Amino acid sequence: MSKLFEGSAVVQGTGLALAGMEISVTLNEEEMPMNWRAELDELRLRERLAHEMGGADKVRRQHDGGRLTVRERIDRLVDAGSFHETGAIAGSATYDENNELKSFTASNSIFGRARIDGRPVVVVGDDFTVRGGSADATIHEKPLMAERMAAEFRLPIVRIIEGSGGGGSVKTIETKGRANLPGGVGQSIGFHYVTSNMAEVPIVALGLGSVAGLGAARLAASHYSLMTKSSAMFVAGPPVVARVGQDLSKQELGGWEIQTKSGAVDHAVDTEEEAFACARRFLSYLPSSVHELPPKLAGDDDPERRDESLMQAIPKDRRQVYKVRPIIDAVVDRGSFFEMGAMFGRPIVTGLARLDGRPVAVMASDPYFYGGSWTATACQKIVRFVDLAETFHLPVVYFMDCPGFLIGLEAERAATIRHGVRAMAAINQTSVPWCTIILRNSFGVAGAAHQPAGRLALRYAWLSGYWGSLPLEGGIEAAYRAEIDAAPDAAAKLAEIEDRLNKLRSPFRTAETFWVEEIIDPRETRPLICEFARLSDKLLTPGPCAFPIRP
Amino acid sequence: MADMPVLSELNAVVLKIEVAPGDRVQEGDTLIVLESMKMEIPVSAPRAGTVTAILVREKQVVEEGQKIAILGG
Repeated sequence: MSKLFEGSAVVQGTGLALAGMEISVTLNEEEMPMNWRAELDELRLRERLAHEMGGADKVRRQHDGGRLTVRERIDRLVDAGSFHETGAIAGSATYDENNELKSFTASNSIFGRARIDGRPVVVVGDDFTVRGGSADATIHEKPLMAERMAAEFRLPIVRIIEGSGGGGSVKTIETKGRANLPGGVGQSIGFHYVTSNMAEVPIVALGLGSVAGLGAARLAASHYSLMTKSSAMFVAGPPVVARVGQDLSKQELGGWEIQTKSGAVDHAVDTEEEAFACARRFLSYLPSSVHELPPKLAGDDDPERRDESLMQAIPKDRRQVYKVRPIIDAVVDRGSFFEMGAMFGRPIVTGLARLDGRPVAVMASDPYFYGGSWTATACQKIVRFVDLAETFHLPVVYFMDCPGFLIGLEAERAATIRHGVRAMAAINQTSVPWCTIILRNSFGVAGAAHQPAGRLALRYAWLSGYWGSLPLEGGIEAAYRAEIDAAPDAAAKLAEIEDRLNKLRSPFRTAETFWVEEIIDPRETRPLICEFARLSDKLLTPGPCAFPIRP
Repeated sequence: MADMPVLSELNAVVLKIEVAPGDRVQEGDTLIVLESMKMEIPVSAPRAGTVTAILVREKQVVEEGQKIAILGG
């Protein structure tokens, strides 16, 4: 046996002569009469060679690094036995002088259809054991066809990315004898699908291993991206970065803490198994494409359930913070909240959940981060999240406690106000049903951006509601300057004005004037938002979004 | 257990320091209270241990990612 077949199963059956070597192939149909026995044997042989990937040594090296091979990854991601591969026998072969197959190396891009929770999907994965996943062994059309298949057949796509994700290396210059123009003639259509599919089908991207260049782009151009904590992702890796004077390890340059805090990757997990579980869970809330509506489940949690803990959820002292995630957990279908992007734009919490079995997009303020003030990054997170909700027809529920935009020099330097009005525009441009629960603060322009401004949304304020154009602190000095300056004791005057205003700012006075339509007992929240989700059934319309979402 | 730095997760001012070096703390105990946007934001122990060092003082401005305490085994 030649080295080529080392490590493959010992098989018995019909001998198949290729390149002068006697190769055994298992065939159950041995005795069956067939016109095409030799051809079938060759097909099975070539498929078997493809399954050897980069060979036993490379596979061992992949496992020694604590990583699964791309075929193992696909098997563990999808429903058992459901993977149907396209183009398995595409690769590069060598032939002897008689034109008999001598050796074969599969393309390092593997794709096909499979099922996740019984629903069809497209899966495309990089095989790092073949030339480190680089472009010269990819066959450009394979990942491209995977993207096309997802678009044309309206199926979610899961990208399993390792290495340069089909991107070129400088070696390509030598193998091709010329330098590639990125996006040049015949090379741009792949880039088209990488972003255009975001407006068509759910895209989940998993970075497993070192991910760079085009791989990093394919990871980031997704609705939900994940990496394992041992992985790293960067535009260019340490050797390239060293040339610009930064001596950093892979982890220091693009480890999970860097990439989840920067918002380039949504979530990091310890194991590949967890990454697959997250991918499956994310997809469970979404329709297969924009042409369908999100899948409803039979609700297994009482929509009328009233959680007593909600009466203690918000501290009476307005300077004190509280944890918002337990509030979300208490009002959505039990165990259904799935947070996304927890480490980025942290004054805002975003995730998917179910209400009476219906998938919804949940947004909430987290007072632990600047009291829930909108920072520039929180605004970026809001834009991406409400665009996701709009694209896939998810009603939005926003649990709001926003004292305004973050203020101060750093906030001005970060262009908080422009990112802020962009977030406001994103909210205003939605057409999906919207419901806002005001938990506590609503101040200023960021406070105003709590529901789409041009249409009716549902809104409920908790008993703890507290609002105004400006916070009193600092606001009084600005508005009552003359009165304070004229007083013999400025501090006493300030306190007197503050006391006067505080008496007027009871939320009941606002409700009396009908500037807020409803103040509720917090325990009524779940029944009301479940009603909202049921009312939304009639309003959701499948089809492409008026504006295609961007990564 | 190895020393573990406790970081500020935001730009803030140190309002109160609730523990001193040598104190035993449980996971979730408040170590330091920061102030930002007029809110009091507790920084709690990420795990049980002994406070090895407090690296800030009250009224000090701290930045996101800055080490503010060290927690030992």
